[in-house]
Amino acid sequence: MSKIIALVGNPNCGKTTLFNALTGANHHVGNWPGVTVERKEGQFRHGNEVLTIVDLPGIYSLGAFSEDEMVARDFILSGEPDVVINVVDATNIERNLYLTTQLLEMGAKVVVALNMVDEANSRKISLNTGALSRRLGVPVVPTVASKRKGLEELAEAAVSLMGLAPKRSRYHLSYGESIDAKVAELEKVVHVEGLVYPPRWVAVKLLEGDEHVLRMVEGSLSSQELENFRRVYEEVAAHSSDLPLEIVDGRYRFVHAVTSSAVRRPSEGVLTLTDRLDRVLTHRYWGLPLFALIMFAVFQLTFALGQDLLGGLVAGGVEFVGEALDGLLLRVSAPDWLRSYAAEGLIGGVGVVLEFIPLIVILYMLMGLLEDSGYMARAAYVMDNTMRAVGLQGKTFIPLIVGFGCNVPGVMAARTLENKKDRMIAILINPFMSCGAKIPIYLAFIAAFFPEQGALVMFSLYVLGILVALLMGKVLSSTLFKGDVSHFLLELPPYRTPTLRNVLRNMWDNVSGFLARAGTVIFVVVSLLWVLSALPAGVEPYGPESILGRIGSLIAPIFAPAGFGNWQAAVGLFSGIAAKEAVVATLGMVYAGVEEGIELVSALQGAFTPLTALSFLVMTLLYTPCVATLATIRKETGSAKWAVFSAFYSFAIGWVGAVLVFQVGRILGLG
Amino acid sequence: MLKELLLEISASEYISKTLLAAKLGRPEGLIEDGLAQLVRLGYLAEGSGSSSCAVKCGKCPYASLCGQDPIRTLTITTAGQKYIDRH
Repeated sequence: MSKIIALVGNPNCGKTTLFNALTGANHHVGNWPGVTVERKEGQFRHGNEVLTIVDLPGIYSLGAFSEDEMVARDFILSGEPDVVINVVDATNIERNLYLTTQLLEMGAKVVVALNMVDEANSRKISLNTGALSRRLGVPVVPTVASKRKGLEELAEAAVSLMGLAPKRSRYHLSYGESIDAKVAELEKVVHVEGLVYPPRWVAVKLLEGDEHVLRMVEGSLSSQELENFRRVYEEVAAHSSDLPLEIVDGRYRFVHAVTSSAVRRPSEGVLTLTDRLDRVLTHRYWGLPLFALIMFAVFQLTFALGQDLLGGLVAGGVEFVGEALDGLLLRVSAPDWLRSYAAEGLIGGVGVVLEFIPLIVILYMLMGLLEDSGYMARAAYVMDNTMRAVGLQGKTFIPLIVGFGCNVPGVMAARTLENKKDRMIAILINPFMSCGAKIPIYLAFIAAFFPEQGALVMFSLYVLGILVALLMGKVLSSTLFKGDVSHFLLELPPYRTPTLRNVLRNMWDNVSGFLARAGTVIFVVVSLLWVLSALPAGVEPYGPESILGRIGSLIAPIFAPAGFGNWQAAVGLFSGIAAKEAVVATLGMVYAGVEEGIELVSALQGAFTPLTALSFLVMTLLYTPCVATLATIRKETGSAKWAVFSAFYSFAIGWVGAVLVFQVGRILGLG
Repeated sequence: MLKELLLEISASEYISKTLLAAKLGRPEGLIEDGLAQLVRLGYLAEGSGSSSCAVKCGKCPYASLCGQDPIRTLTITTAGQKYIDRH
């Protein structure tokens, strides 16, 4: 019967590459009994001997936390393998050796394959394999599995070890006097005939709180042994809730001792570029202004590139398609209503939304650059500090950042917050964020009234949304949802150089999502409103007597104090509850219907003033969220009450904000 | 190392594996492992600032954008705080 070698190592340590290099095509794949974990087994020849090699799943530890760990642990403890080859990633040796210590504790005969030494060399990591071998007490063989280097030496070391008795090594790792004493006590009571596993390993696992080993021990002892065991176990484990941590730490101490004399890294203790950048970008005082400056630069570039360079590109295309479609309908003698629907509904409504694509492309490319660089986590961090400064749970800002893309996942992201108070606040303030669907509204009004201050207006709207969210968060946390502020830490990943692929993918996901919405929700809303604008039969289309006009006229007086009490604006806002992009589409349609061929920008200039445009923008930023967001609020809070509350309280805040802008502006003589 | 790591985290304003590695004089891979161990042992609780992949976004055209780059957070649990207080 051929000797068996178990191959074990961390994920991505090159274990499978080594297995393939040793066995070539001579292997087969099955499953471990009773589990879905893959079992790979193969043969290879060394000298005159044919050796069987079993590739165990990639694992970091030999606990009982996953099927992979259990499979590897049970196989090694079964005594079936004659030798264990532990593949260790030489570039990440300290982390990999944690598993090695556990293998040694299990009494396995181990050969360490120090893999990827070429990569370690290129990273200037100096490895003393002799010292490693001496400190670990096992053979250490440098390998480069991908280049088939060191394989012969590795096989030779494994075969040599097989011949040595005993089958299990007698390795003892010290956890310090106190824990060692506890281990010794337990070792005595589990050192019985019915238990085949190494007693010391069993004792350590019991102190680590390993339930699986505890069940195994209890199932293997006689009733008297069990009574004795329980008494000792309770004694040694009493008042030692931190034992598992101390044991894990003991292994790390051992790894540190092994590597401190055998491994030298070039950059240990040296601050990286990431840390130096973070000292500036997450600075207590400069962090927030820098975040604001970066966002302002993003908007400035968006308008410079998207409007000045690419502006008119899609608009020209939409106009061309409109004319072609109208010409086609004329040629086939289509009825007037169909030509009206195509011109005002499709081109005037849906088409006008598409005209903003160049700006959206640039905006999402720039946002993609920020995201891919790792900066967004820093933005969350500086906002976290700001929220804490006003007594709010900073963690609620993370769902808000998600809400900048779309409020639906923003509301859903609140479920990651531990307590209900934080969740409710995060949900109820999320709709104040400038989600992607509000951007076409901003762009349309900026093009009409503030073409020279586009970045400033856009930036101000984003900031206003955050400020209102902070204010409402504060109000909600001091009234409806009182509670303590819990402490948490954000992980700041290292900065990366953004890749073109990621940036383009992010941009495309956003733009394709935008196009899909234009072709579905917005199309349906515009079509429905077009029908309402033409009914009842005989009235002037898009007139105040149409159903649409009557609905608009009914709502419009509410907005008179905010300066835009006309029925078209009211209908536009009303349609925005279905989907925010529909506001622009609806305005495009109703104005195109009144004056054939008029561009939305000119129509807006005729219907609004710069001041009323501003108050309308504030309203669209803050008022009732779209139905998808309301449905998500209902689902996430488990109550329709909070969805209704959100709809009405945000409408009230939007209205108050818009009225304030208009009335104060008028008093200041800006109207 | 876990003790030092937990104490260092409790004194930090944010988690930077590179900074922790530099402060503790250990490689970043080991710090990552240590954080995972502290989470597993119940001294830290992990959170992710993103709607989870388990959320059914249905036919939402923006579904592919969700949960792409979650912002990871760590909270010191009651057990973690007790340990810190004892040391």
